[in-house]
Formats: sequence, structure tokens, C-alpha cells
Amino acid sequence: MNPLIFTTILMTVLLGTMIVMMSSHWLMIWIGFEMNLLAIIPILMKKYNPRTMEASTKYFLTQATASMLLMMAIIINLMHSGQWTITKVFNPTASIIMTSALAMKLGLTPFHFWVPEVTQGISLTSGLILLTWQKLAPMSILYQISPSINLNILLTMAVLSILVGGWGGLNQTQLRKIMAYSSIAHMGWMTAVLVYNPTLTMLNMLIYIMMTLTMFMLFIHSSSTTMLSLSHTWNKTPLTTTLILITLLSMGGLPPLSGFMPKWMIIQELTKNSSIILPTLMAIMALLNLYFYMRLTYSTSLTMFPSTNNMKMKWQFETKRITLLPPLIVMSSLLLPLTPMLSILD
Amino acid sequence: MLKIIIPTIMLMPLTWLSKKNMIWINTTTYSLLISLISLSLLNQPSNNSLNFSLMFFSDPLSAPLLVLTTWLLPLMLMASQHHLSKEPLIRKKLYITMLTMLQTFLIMTFTATELISFYILFEATLVPTLIIITRWGNQTERLNAGLYFLFYTLMGSLPLLVALISIQNLTGSLNFLLIQYWNQALPNSWSNIFLWLACMMAFMVKMPLYGLHLWLPKAHVEAPIAGSMVLAAILLKLGGYGMLRITTMLNPQTSFMAYPFLMLSLWGMIMTSSICLRQTDLKSLIAYSSVSHMALVIVAVLIQTPWSYMGATALMIAHGLTSSMLFCLANSNYERTHSRTMILARGLQTLLPLMAAWWLLASLTNLALPPSINLIGELFVVMSSFSWSNITIILMGANITITALYSLYMLITTQRGKYTHHINSIKPSFTRENALMALHMTPLLLLSLNPKIILGFTY
Repeated sequence: MNPLIFTTILMTVLLGTMIVMMSSHWLMIWIGFEMNLLAIIPILMKKYNPRTMEASTKYFLTQATASMLLMMAIIINLMHSGQWTITKVFNPTASIIMTSALAMKLGLTPFHFWVPEVTQGISLTSGLILLTWQKLAPMSILYQISPSINLNILLTMAVLSILVGGWGGLNQTQLRKIMAYSSIAHMGWMTAVLVYNPTLTMLNMLIYIMMTLTMFMLFIHSSSTTMLSLSHTWNKTPLTTTLILITLLSMGGLPPLSGFMPKWMIIQELTKNSSIILPTLMAIMALLNLYFYMRLTYSTSLTMFPSTNNMKMKWQFETKRITLLPPLIVMSSLLLPLTPMLSILD
Repeated sequence: MLKIIIPTIMLMPLTWLSKKNMIWINTTTYSLLISLISLSLLNQPSNNSLNFSLMFFSDPLSAPLLVLTTWLLPLMLMASQHHLSKEPLIRKKLYITMLTMLQTFLIMTFTATELISFYILFEATLVPTLIIITRWGNQTERLNAGLYFLFYTLMGSLPLLVALISIQNLTGSLNFLLIQYWNQALPNSWSNIFLWLACMMAFMVKMPLYGLHLWLPKAHVEAPIAGSMVLAAILLKLGGYGMLRITTMLNPQTSFMAYPFLMLSLWGMIMTSSICLRQTDLKSLIAYSSVSHMALVIVAVLIQTPWSYMGATALMIAHGLTSSMLFCLANSNYERTHSRTMILARGLQTLLPLMAAWWLLASLTNLALPPSINLIGELFVVMSSFSWSNITIILMGANITITALYSLYMLITTQRGKYTHHINSIKPSFTRENALMALHMTPLLLLSLNPKIILGFTY
């Protein structure tokens, strides 16, 4: 794509999300969402083939439906409160419809069906933008309306998402689908604590974005989209295998890596609010996630998978440049000791 | 406590910056020096703990375990030299780094004051162990072994996290030093039953309890020698240590909640000892013997009498040294014949007489011969379980008999009789191996002269 046009479209995506995050008028938020959606379609279709067309169409249809539901909720809210400012949602029906719309945008169960298929159909870089940047806008709206969300619906969706994200990823060998199911599960964790302490949602979002960015950077670096091609990294760049191991263990939520911090904080917040069974259930279902991350580490870092050549090191023509990888690795694995700093957020 | 932790962390830059011919020398020497520092902790003036800071403390229970941990690192490094000799330098350094990281987490776990910090470090010990087992193990089964190890432990310990946080909400603090003064009786209710279960299951899986022990034979057998040593000697004791700490908060429910686990342990120790009699795999035999000894520790901790606590502590230290030594001996066999089958390497006394002496000593301490500390531990546990219920003496007596049976079976199969003709050409024992066995045996024998230091805080 022409670089100038690509830059313009990317800037529109950024602008759309910024408008959503910074507006106080409901209509502007809706406009921001639409701007975001329309501008990201060409990015999803960077390579022109039927698979990306199918993925972009699915994405467009689900997100457009969600935007329409959002508009309906905004109008019901307008009818009942008489004003367009974002404070809280004044009508329970509007709240339920808005929560469903935002869940569709985020990919929470039962609206998660588009996430694996869309992520699989597009290139790795577009998948990166889809799974990290696109989650910011709906999450910011959820954060702002969090006092008026119906707790039952939100918690049901969260728990089901963690279940689906765990179980769905078990049978996958395509890396993008694995990352998609991981995204569904993490969204579940984030929305579970939204009503109790939205700051923790933002913390989880931050750490999740860092870890997903790291994972995608490592995948892009080895140009691998399946578990099989990822297992050849020990032959190309052995250091990447260690980095993949650390980041995957961090995503699975193992101490002492920083992926444990959001889970710990969320469990603490939920337990403080006297729900004990819920965090136990969530934590145990996160083990399903850990299982397929472990399977990925087994084929990549902890064994030397049979490879296509007998040489010590595979000859390759160019090394892709990976931006920002060292700080990302550090942040996605070593942040746990900084947990006491979270007290500044109170 | 930083005087132990910081040098251990610094062992990592030491390995990465050492030259090729100096890595083993440097790391072994410095880890021996660190273990010398930790010996000063054994000077416990009173039953109250020695507080070094807000975050670390040591008391008569954790000091012997700490000394055992720091003592074991140089031994692990010595034991790994042979099987890593053919690996590239960077992999050797990675292996030593994993061991050092594990050591750091273990030291911090045994000295943690705050129970959540204990939990985080308890889980953190899983990661280096998993990497050691799956990356450097020898057979294909190691992948399955690593998965079993990780998931059994995590399934047990996630409820522990929730339980610890809810206890923190109730009592306001999880600082161990404070809890012992603020302790209140735990009333009997369904939710408190689940709280008890959540707290204890993590340590039961780690010990392991008989029904949840499936991960242990897999992990011990598939791990490389340093992995087996640290698993048997220290990681199982983490479970025992955790149980000893957390049962102080769980009274008086323990008196009736403990019944199923006591039954499982009492029956399980006989079962696992009997399985040892029919094992063909040498490491598997030692692994099941570990389960059996740890079942004794579980019985001791759940009975909660002063004598049983003394027995549990002594048994943990004694079993740590003995089991680690047995694994080293089995490994010396494995390095020569590349097989763990016992009958393939018979009659070794004729070929390696000095090693046969170490085999004899290790087997004798395994079957708890007087006056070794193994006997002190087992005897105290038997006596306290007799006072808890007279009938357990039958099971305990049967267990001691079967333990003697399989230890002697192991000794006689590997050492006595005519040697098999295909092991004519094995290399004689290295000085390193003899030094390893001596370093295991000497503390074991010397401690029988003054067992007071390992008898824990109820002495």
C-alpha cells in the first residue's frame, strides 16, 4: 500500500480511538467507533486475498451491529435522561444493551465467535493492532459507565469468556487463533473486576497489551504463523526461544513474572468483596490457558523440535527488525516486584 | 538474610562471566561459602524467631531447612558436571543459572514472613524446576512429567491464594510473626471447612499425599540429577514447611478435618513402600520411597503434638540428605550404564568397592538405622502416632519393616552377587563422586551427635 495512504488510514484509526476515549458526548463516541471501524478495514485487508476479505467482512458486520446496538442504547439513555453527556446510564435496559454492544466489540462470550476467525484471516501485524489497540476504545467506555452496569450479566459474560478462552484454545495449532482465544480469556478477567475496581481493569489491560505486543513481535520476527513454524526458531535465533518461553509463562499467569500481577490483584479485589467461589473458579480455568501456552513452549523452547536442516544454524536472508522488543520483554516479565507501587493508584 | 540472598543472586553473573574452564570451580566454591554463612543461623537463642527485617526471619524450623538448601547447591553442581560435560558452554551456564534461580527462590521461601510472599515464591520455584526437568531430562516422558508436575501443584495452590487473601481480610495481616499472637479459634462451618481444605491442599499435593502423588515418580525419574536432588531434598519439604506454618492458624478444625488425610497417609505409606519392593527402575524406587517417608511427615504434622513436630522436622532434614544421596548413587549407575534398570548393573561391590560403602551407608540410613537422625525422626513420629491412636503402631511397624525390606533389596540387587558381564568396562569411581557422597553422609552422621538443632521449635 502506498505509504502515505497507509499512514493516513492508521492515523484515522488512532484518531477514532482517541475520540472515543476523550469525548463526553455520546454521539461523538459513536462517531469515533465508526471512524475506527471504517479505517481499520483497509488495514485488515493489507494483503488482498479471499481469506482477508472474509475476515474483514466478518469484522465489519459484527462491529457495525455492535455500533448500532450502541446507538440504540444511547438513544434510550437520551430518552430517559434528556442529555447526551456520559455520566452513567440512566435506564437498566439501556445499560444491558450497551453492555452487550461493548461486549460484541471486545469479543466477550457469547459474542466471541468472530475473534478467532478474524484474527486468523489477517496478517500478523494487523492481528496485533486488532487484539491490542482495538480493545482500548470499548474498554474505556466500559470503565466510564461501570457504576451502572448490571453485575449479573457482566460476571456471567466474564466467567463464560474465561471458560471459552481456555477451552477453545486447546485444539489450536495456528498461532493467531491461540492469541485470539487468549484475548477472549483475558477480556473475561478484565471485565470480571470492572464493577469492583475499574483501576484493576486498566492495569490488566496494560499488562495484557504489553504481553500480547511482545508475543506478536516475537512471532513477526520469526515470521511464523503456526506452531510448527514457530518450533523452528531454535535453529534460526535461539535467543528468541527463551524470550518466547518467558513471555508465554508470563501470559499464563505464573509467578514470579508480571503476568501474575493482574491475576493476583483481581483475585484480591474479588475476595475483598466477599466473592470467594468466583475467583477460585476463574483462577482454575486460567490453568486451561496455561496448558496450551505450555504446549507452545514445549514445541518451541524446551525441546529441539525436528527441523528441516542438519546445520547448526539455518541460513536466512534477512532479519526482520523488531522495534521495542527489549523493553517490552522486560516489562512483560519482570514487573511483579513493583506491585507495591500500585498503591499510588488509590 | 540479605547476606545469603544477595550472594546467591550474584552467583548468576558469576556463571555468565566465568571462563570456560572455571565455571564449575567458581560456582561450587562460592556456593559452598554461602552455605557456610547460613550455618550461623543455626544458633537459635530461643524458641522465638530471629528477625532480620520486616520481610525475612528465621526460626528453629526454617534454619535447618535453609542450611540444607544452601548445602545442597554445591552438591547439585558437583553432581551435574558429568552429564553436562558435552554440552555447549552457554547451555551449561543456562543450567547453572536455573539452579541458582531456584536456590534464590527457595531461600526466600523458607525465610519469608508474609504468607503471600511465601506463596508467590512457592509458586516461583515451579518455573526453574519445570525448565530443568523438561529441558535437560533424558527421555521423552519428561514432557509429560513436567506437565503433571506443574498442573498438579498449580491446581492445589490456586485455592491457597484465595484462602490466604480471605484470611488477610479477616485478620488484617498475614505477617507470620503477628499471626501467632493474634490467633483466634476457627469456628466450625462449611465455609471454614473449605478454607481449611484450600489452605492445606497445596501442601498436600506438594508433599505428596498418597492419592495426589502421581506427579512425583514421573518428575523424579525424568529429571536430571540436580533436578532429582533438589526435588527430593527440598521441594517436598516446602510442602511440609508450609503445613507446619499454616496449621497454626487453622485450629481447632484440624482435629477433625485431618482424619481423611491421616487415613490416606497411613495407608499410603504402606502402599508406596510395597510398590518399592516390585520396582525395576532404580530412580522410581527411590521416588516411591520419598512418598512413603513424606507420608510419615504428613501424619506427624496433622497430629499436632510437640513430639510429632520434632519428628517431622528431623525426618524432613534426614530424608532430604538420604534421598538426595540415593539419587546421586543411582545417577552414578546411570552415567555408566545409561539405564535405570536395577538388574542391569548388579554386583557392583566387586567392581566399585568404595561406592559400595556409600551404598551401604545410604541404605542403612534410609531404613532408619539407629543412631541416625532418620531413626530419631521416625521414632518420634511412631511414638506420637501411638499416643494419638494405639492401632497405628501396627501400620507404622509394618511400614518400618517394608522400608527395611526394600532398602536392603535395593542394596543387595545393585551391590551383591555376581556382576553382569557387560559392565566389566565401566569407569572407576571419580573423586568427585566420592566427595559428593561424603558430603552427603558427613552431615547426616554428624547430626546424630547433636540432633537438637534439627528438632525444630518444640524442643
